[in-house]
Amino acid sequence: MSLAYARNDWYVIADRNSLEQGPRRTRLLGDEIHVSGSYAHPVIKDASGRMLPTQIKFDHVWTTVGDRPRPLFDIPEGNEPGRRLVPCGMVRVKCSPLRAVENFLDIAHFPFVHTDVLGAEPYTEVEPYKVEIREQNDEVWATKVKFFQPLAAKSAAGGITTDYEYRVPAPTTAVLYKTCPPKPEAQDVITIFVQPRSETECDVWPWMALYDDDTPYADLVQFQQMIFLQDRSILENQRPIKLPLDPRMEIPTRSDLTSVAYRRWLKKRGAFYGALAETL
Amino acid sequence: MSAAFTLYDYVLSGNCYKIRLFASLLAMPYQSVAIDFYPGYEHRSERMLSLNPAGTLPVMVTSAGGQVLTETNAMLAWMALHDGGAQTPWFPAVDPALGPQVQQGLAFGAGLTDSIGLARLHAMLDWPVDGEAAKRAGLKHLRALELHLTDRQIDGGLWWAGAHPTIADLACFPYVALSPDAGLEHDGFPAIRRWLYAVRSLPGFATMPGIHPLHELR
Amino acid sequence: MTWRPVGLTRDVPAGRVMRAWVDGQDAVVWRSTRGVLSAWDNRCPHRGMALSHGFVRGEDLACLYHGWHYGAEGGVCSLIPSHPDLTPPDTIKTRAFQSAESDGVIWVRLEGSPDLAPIDLAPPAIAPGLDPLRSFEIRASEGDIAHGAAAKPFEPAILSLLFNPIAHDRTLVTVLIDAQATSDQRKLASRWCEDVRREVEA
Repeated sequence: MSLAYARNDWYVIADRNSLEQGPRRTRLLGDEIHVSGSYAHPVIKDASGRMLPTQIKFDHVWTTVGDRPRPLFDIPEGNEPGRRLVPCGMVRVKCSPLRAVENFLDIAHFPFVHTDVLGAEPYTEVEPYKVEIREQNDEVWATKVKFFQPLAAKSAAGGITTDYEYRVPAPTTAVLYKTCPPKPEAQDVITIFVQPRSETECDVWPWMALYDDDTPYADLVQFQQMIFLQDRSILENQRPIKLPLDPRMEIPTRSDLTSVAYRRWLKKRGAFYGALAETL
Repeated sequence: MSAAFTLYDYVLSGNCYKIRLFASLLAMPYQSVAIDFYPGYEHRSERMLSLNPAGTLPVMVTSAGGQVLTETNAMLAWMALHDGGAQTPWFPAVDPALGPQVQQGLAFGAGLTDSIGLARLHAMLDWPVDGEAAKRAGLKHLRALELHLTDRQIDGGLWWAGAHPTIADLACFPYVALSPDAGLEHDGFPAIRRWLYAVRSLPGFATMPGIHPLHELR
Repeated sequence: MTWRPVGLTRDVPAGRVMRAWVDGQDAVVWRSTRGVLSAWDNRCPHRGMALSHGFVRGEDLACLYHGWHYGAEGGVCSLIPSHPDLTPPDTIKTRAFQSAESDGVIWVRLEGSPDLAPIDLAPPAIAPGLDPLRSFEIRASEGDIAHGAAAKPFEPAILSLLFNPIAHDRTLVTVLIDAQATSDQRKLASRWCEDVRREVEA
């Protein structure tokens, strides 16, 4: 059953700022969760008062409601010296947690949804890239992904081709490794940790590990918030709400390799929470 | 050209966007300082509270005269007058007919912030307010705006008042445009949709997250 | 299936898009730059995005998410921007419904039944001498609204109401008014609409 599978993952439930605001209630996998305590000592309980296990990782508090949780993945870049770690709070979206992840993995929407920021017409072509399932940790990886962003000033010719790698270490987490040619040694890590409140609503917690000592902190957070809020109005308008896993229901193209692999990978794992699996 | 003002700004704020939008329409340069409203609650920091004890955003500090303004309607008025003086079509303050109508619109805009704005904060960022009550109030406001814009349409007018967009339109635009963020769709409001499109078509229009550009105009 | 009044012609000028509900079906109604009106299933077959958020380019409606273009004639995909040199297979298309306009009102019908009587081919005729006034939603059933409107007759001018039931407790009401009505009478009629809504929703 999809819920049984989903219960045995770890999910973000809070960050330092939200704990400082005091006790609150939230939802995880359809059930009410009580969040209180401090970042050093978070207190997470289910509706019956049972204490849930927690761990602090990637500047967030994680919990699980499963009795045999799979180990939480690692993002080793987060420990590299010189990186700025930037948690961005959360954004609530009325969409399937799986649709939120799939949107994060997609680049063909850049010219239309993140216009003049991540892409612009007429530079809409997506060149072939590589997708694989890395069996060692059973993760989806997309590599050799690139996208062209023309320069903002109309008078300036040329632009930047950014290199992207995407990684899905768990059904509701996506990690992006982004490299811009001017600074090839400064690969940015941008992630979303998706907390499924239900199959049709989620709290998305973005987190970044960057090599950038110059930009003010608030600007870094707000750039990420801007990108995500641009996606939110798309996410809340996709139908069916749940992610179809039957390949006949929605039509992919070659630029959708990552999404196709992600859907197949979910199906293989039995990770149906937030998915339409009736026709399978 | 040097900055006309400094704006203490938050990218997701509809109120801050009123100022960013007007600055873009006027091609008025300004200095922006990002304040970590969420998740950092920086607007409640000592530094920001000493600038604005009300703890709200945006805050505008004008370059000429160093005025500190904390009400967006006042900021819009300042910008209109700074740009075009007393004759500015954006703020016909002393016109006996249009002046009061613009004031109506500015006040109405404040009501939108307190209803739709709050409903949106609740829906998006889990702000601890009564989201359902704010949404109900927001719906009432949308209906009132639809009635007003339908009246205007009957008179052959496109804007809140008169033949030119004014700061009344700008005071109302962001939260109406963003109302779907709070689950208040624009279906069933054809006069509002017509007006939103007119604002989005203005030369120099700038977007914010949740308001997409009109790709058809590209 | 019945023709449903989904809005006014003037509310969907050339190049504009709107959402409509037709017998429980989420639909997109839009007009190309040359004036061709279309009504389709409000869903891009790529990733399920609502086409009512899309934009018109010439004779195509493009989806906001990835910019896939669909042509007014038949709703077939004509361009996939991530593969600009690809001719999209004509199996990629939206589902089209029937649309018609008369006297300033837009009507949409889902699949007509194969043995349609000739009288059903066109949308209902509207009484002559009326102008469209406005189109608005009331959170009540068609029956309750008709009842409420009858209880408060509008004196200054002749009104005609058309109903499109969106849900059992939600109706789109299209109001037409005597073409001779003055601006003031039209504004009064608009307020009458608000009064009826207030009464019926109470």
